[in-house]
Amino acid sequence: MAFEPVLLRHLQIPGIQHLDTYQAHGGYQALKRALELTPEQVVQLVKDSGLRGRGGAGFPTGVKWGFIPKDHPGPIYLCVNADESEPGTFNNRILMEGDPHQVLEGTIISAYAIRASVAYIYIRYEYGRAYRILQRAIEELYKHGLLGRNILGKAGFNLDIYIHRGAGAYICGEETGLIESLEGKRAWPRIKPPFPAVQGLFQKPTIVNNVETLACVKHILERGPQWFRSIGVPPDPNNPRDIGSFGPKLYCLSGHVNRPGCYELPLGITARELIEKYGGGVWNGRRVKAIIPGGLSMGFMSDQELDTPLDFNGPLKVGCLGLGTAAVIVIDDRTSMIDVLYNSCRFFAHESCGQCTPCREGTAWMTKILARIRRGEGYLDDLDLLLEIANGIGIMPGTTICGLADGAAWPVKTAITKFRAEFEDYIRNSRSRSVTLRETTKTL
Amino acid sequence: MTHASINGRMIQPKPGQTILQAAQELGITIPTLCYHPDLSPVGSCRLCLVEIEGWRQKVAACVTPIRPGMVIYTETPGLVEVRRFILSLLLRHYYDAGYGGRERPETEFEHWVRVYQVERRRDSQAQPRFAIPSDPHPLVWVDWNKCILCTRCVRACAEIQGRFVWGVADRGERAHIVAGLGSSMLEARCESCGACAAYCPTGALDDKMALGWGRPDKIVRSVCSYCGVGCGIRLQVKNNRIIRVSGDEQAPVNGLHLCVKGRYGFDYVHHPERLRRPRVRRYLLSGRSKSEATAAEREWVEVDWDTALDLAAEKLTQIWRESGSDALGVLASAKCTNEENYLMQKFARQVLGTQNVDHCARLCHSSTVAALSLAFGSGAMSNTMHDVAEHAQALFIIGSNVTEQHPVFGSMLRQAVLRRRIPLVVADPRRIDITEFATLHLQHLPGTDIALLNGLMHIILKNGWHDTRFIAERCENFEAFAASLEAYPPEKVAEITHVPVAALQRAAEILARHKPVAAIWAMGITQHTTGVMNVLALANLQMLLGNLGVPGGGVNPLRGQNNVQGACDMGALPNVFPGYQPVSDAQIVRKFDAAWALQPTLRSSDVSPTLGLAGKPGLTVTEMVHQFGTGQIRALYVLGEDLALTEPDLPHTRQSLAQGEFLILQEIFPSETSVFADILLPGVSFAEKSGTFTNTERRVQLVRAALEPMGDARPDWHIIADLARRVLARQGRYPAGPWAGWQYTSPSAIFEEMAALTPLYAGISHARLEHETLHWPVPDKNHPGTPILFVHGFPRGRGRFHVVEHLPPAEWPDAEYPLLLTTGRVLYHWHGGELTRRSMVMQLCPRPVVEIHPDDAARFGLNGTRQVRLRSRRGEMLAYVQITTRVAPGVVFGNFHFPGPNNVNNLTNAALDPVSKIPEFKVAAVRLEPVPEAC
Repeated sequence: MAFEPVLLRHLQIPGIQHLDTYQAHGGYQALKRALELTPEQVVQLVKDSGLRGRGGAGFPTGVKWGFIPKDHPGPIYLCVNADESEPGTFNNRILMEGDPHQVLEGTIISAYAIRASVAYIYIRYEYGRAYRILQRAIEELYKHGLLGRNILGKAGFNLDIYIHRGAGAYICGEETGLIESLEGKRAWPRIKPPFPAVQGLFQKPTIVNNVETLACVKHILERGPQWFRSIGVPPDPNNPRDIGSFGPKLYCLSGHVNRPGCYELPLGITARELIEKYGGGVWNGRRVKAIIPGGLSMGFMSDQELDTPLDFNGPLKVGCLGLGTAAVIVIDDRTSMIDVLYNSCRFFAHESCGQCTPCREGTAWMTKILARIRRGEGYLDDLDLLLEIANGIGIMPGTTICGLADGAAWPVKTAITKFRAEFEDYIRNSRSRSVTLRETTKTL
Repeated sequence: MTHASINGRMIQPKPGQTILQAAQELGITIPTLCYHPDLSPVGSCRLCLVEIEGWRQKVAACVTPIRPGMVIYTETPGLVEVRRFILSLLLRHYYDAGYGGRERPETEFEHWVRVYQVERRRDSQAQPRFAIPSDPHPLVWVDWNKCILCTRCVRACAEIQGRFVWGVADRGERAHIVAGLGSSMLEARCESCGACAAYCPTGALDDKMALGWGRPDKIVRSVCSYCGVGCGIRLQVKNNRIIRVSGDEQAPVNGLHLCVKGRYGFDYVHHPERLRRPRVRRYLLSGRSKSEATAAEREWVEVDWDTALDLAAEKLTQIWRESGSDALGVLASAKCTNEENYLMQKFARQVLGTQNVDHCARLCHSSTVAALSLAFGSGAMSNTMHDVAEHAQALFIIGSNVTEQHPVFGSMLRQAVLRRRIPLVVADPRRIDITEFATLHLQHLPGTDIALLNGLMHIILKNGWHDTRFIAERCENFEAFAASLEAYPPEKVAEITHVPVAALQRAAEILARHKPVAAIWAMGITQHTTGVMNVLALANLQMLLGNLGVPGGGVNPLRGQNNVQGACDMGALPNVFPGYQPVSDAQIVRKFDAAWALQPTLRSSDVSPTLGLAGKPGLTVTEMVHQFGTGQIRALYVLGEDLALTEPDLPHTRQSLAQGEFLILQEIFPSETSVFADILLPGVSFAEKSGTFTNTERRVQLVRAALEPMGDARPDWHIIADLARRVLARQGRYPAGPWAGWQYTSPSAIFEEMAALTPLYAGISHARLEHETLHWPVPDKNHPGTPILFVHGFPRGRGRFHVVEHLPPAEWPDAEYPLLLTTGRVLYHWHGGELTRRSMVMQLCPRPVVEIHPDDAARFGLNGTRQVRLRSRRGEMLAYVQITTRVAPGVVFGNFHFPGPNNVNNLTNAALDPVSKIPEFKVAAVRLEPVPEAC
């Protein structure tokens, strides 16, 4: 049976960004359905669906919601994480720009479920269009009694949604960094515990969910958890820690492919199928050298590993950090892995918030080493040094407060272990060349 | 399972305890850098990572709660590797330019680098990234090349001082500490307290004055010599020189925290102007009379101690014989120890036989002492500073610029507001710093405190917000008082005070709806002709609201000088013996007469057969100085007091001092007053003597000598006792009573004598103070002290409501003198500035300034002129202009830190409160004129 898109289904409908069109296509029926249930029942539905967070970590959404202390007097906050900054990832933007009410409906349902009275949409500054579209949609909702007090006549269900525009820092996508930033502070991630669900924004219980996660919630309400579980990959019976990867997923395909774009597919599609069937294969008839399975921070898969299913569990099996945001970046066989890795390191060094020693210093050091290697001043033992630093800052669990250093370390580890020969060749061959190259530069 | 284990040792986790704290309890050291017990943990340096059996990840011990069942290891080979790695990362950008010498004490960071034998690795920075120093602050050394971004400075400034100067700019490896938005520290409103430097683990921030001195020979615990907060300090001494002052982490008041004066204002101790030998005027040696002496004969001659003391004793004895006891006066010092103040009043009462003994408390809190004695029977701060900061549910600060005058307590109050979010009402004619933290600022006119307080109480009473039960059970005279409030409706009060009616209503509601409220005040209340009445109004307020005898409430006058509380306690007042035992009580007089008895006895009077002591109060400071000018007082013996700088109406004071017959001044500097002295006896600073200070909250603390006296200078207690012996010898009398002698071997012996005669201090001794501090009253040796007064009742029985009515100040602006002058101090100076002007702190406030509102600046044509001349009916003052909205239009503010023509006391009014004789420093009428710039 062919997979029918769910999240992207209405994207092509003209005017779907407007409330009346959205409602004409069944919009806000899921909300009505939710309001007939108790908040606890909504949480249970989401738990039953097996929905896992789409922002990168894949934590079960319903379980996270369940961490909110019972009978808390409030206020409770919902933060919509729209600070989509993982390199290669753009599905949130497509959802917000293309079908904003779908996101907002999911947000309102989720706020109802966790008894939040205020939701903040933390959107990265670069998403100006998405911001404007969402803001217009929010105003429509207020006008039609879908936001504000006693929403849809449901006594006591009040919700205000505010959009907060970020100022351009990757770290603001980390949930406690996001919370600090919302509080008007420097986005330095917080120590956990306490987790945000217990003590988050303004010290109150707070749930931070990704845009895509919330969009899924709407459909779970509409079609039921069993429908959701019918899509995707059931738990691996041989892995007791695997809880399955259910539901549709927006794969962001970019890099050296013929048809880059956002593809909605059931979780568990293989990288090869994604690239060849949907992406039209590698451009210019070239071959895959490596791919990034789920945003830069997950590390690299080699061309030998393309049959790995892209579910929450798959990339782990080939030495990557995880599925991440399912943003697949294809790297063709003419691209230097040294350049790719330098670019990766430079990104994370630039985005490291500077709080924890290992990340602040380690990311910068790795960038410095790779810059040196690229200049032709590398040493063979630099590769072991890179592995040592990567291990010390992020591969070894618990070295830093948040996961940024992990994200900086896995690309280094996977690139060097999987492409070591290329690095070694480059270091050996470039040392002699570089001298002349540098001297030329000087005379210029 | 109820236990956890750390390195194989069992421990029962306590609620909220972190792994680090549990390890410390077991005596296990886990290396840390960003952690400090005084600061909120951030867990960012990652040096304290530990392993827990069964856990995938290592955890930061400083932020991870310990739980039963955890099996923790703190120093595995793997962890050692992690620590070496982290330290090597920190070394990447660490750059030590090598200043400070090889003897420089090792920093925390250097310690761990050494312990883990870490060296710089590939690609490390060998060049400085920042200028050295990185900030022009005169007292705080800044060198960001040594910064490891632990953010202890950021947190210390925010969480201790409450000033938020420091922040982090940029990110990744470019992240660095900045003041403000990248300005200098002082531009970022730094108060120079040095907390950031005290908490810095690398020397990136350091005490500039200590650089290059190396390690101290010894570290002596003592008490700060500035304000009444009484911070514990550690004097780091090398070669008989203080090289650094740091907060004493064991000190109950302040821990590591200090203010700018306490931390950096110590160098006056070594100032070249310190008096090192006794001096006498040449005419005393030649035997000519003062009035006939030529200019040359008025010059100082340095002499030995015998010469100076004999001359002093001879003259005192001569006047005593010729004109009797009451022609002599003694002024003790709130800067000196309890022991010395006890001796000064004993000298006056026993040796000279006069009640003419007083000290500068007359000029600061005499009205408080008088009023609280009337209302409750005891005249001191009723609660402690920590109690107020931790337990008050609301704060009412009136007439106290607490963050500048009692900075360490001020920062405690800021933190109370920040952390506990308690409301704060500030009533002050100026928009002082603490108003930034206030829920409400009542900017009333100077001299309208009674109207304001009565107005607030009027509203409280009308709304029935008063504590009827407390009033009925513990107070008296309520009805008459309540009736008197009828005359203070909000509209009328608003007219008098210039505080809007709505603000009055809101303030009354805040004070009434929170319980308990701590009332805090200082000179803004006391230095008025209505000073006693002002304080009585505050006592009324706290009784009305039932805020007495409970934690977090109380009447809390903040004492100004390090030992002004003690000097009062010691009876350096004309109306009381030590411990506030009244001179009007015949039984008390007999008690001291017996204790201090001398032989042969003088001709007996009825009340005091042997010493000739009058059973009525002697003269106050201001009266003594005045009578010194008129000749009724023929000799004054002054200890450490700069009358020519701190008295009101200085032109008159100087004239009186100049006309006086004989002035003995015991000082550490040639002060303004020394110009008028006949004999100058060199005493020593607090760092060169031992004894006790009693701080504003009645806490008695030990002062320990850290230095040898400068030159021939001697500890003051030693000098007083020596002079007493010489006078007694000339009088032909010898000690007969049990406590009559003057052969003291140490300050602790003096304290023992005092404690024997003073019930408030009866249970205190130096031996006890070696290991604890005590709040009086301490009636016996096993008594733990009394942090909170009035818990079980008032010393006088019931608390008494007094009817107090608004009276205008003695002088009010008019056409001729159109501006209202109010006075006070600034953060960077102390009292008359005798100490701070001789300190590096002077660089932060080198000039006298007057605060003038922009409207007045325009009105008086100050178009950009830098200096103004202020004139009052009494004198004039020259100062620099600071145009600011801290003052209201029509009000100007000046300080008395600078001598001569720059002192605001040239202008102030010597009108006195009729009861306490405190002068009205806070209100005078002045006019101002711009001073053209000299080309």
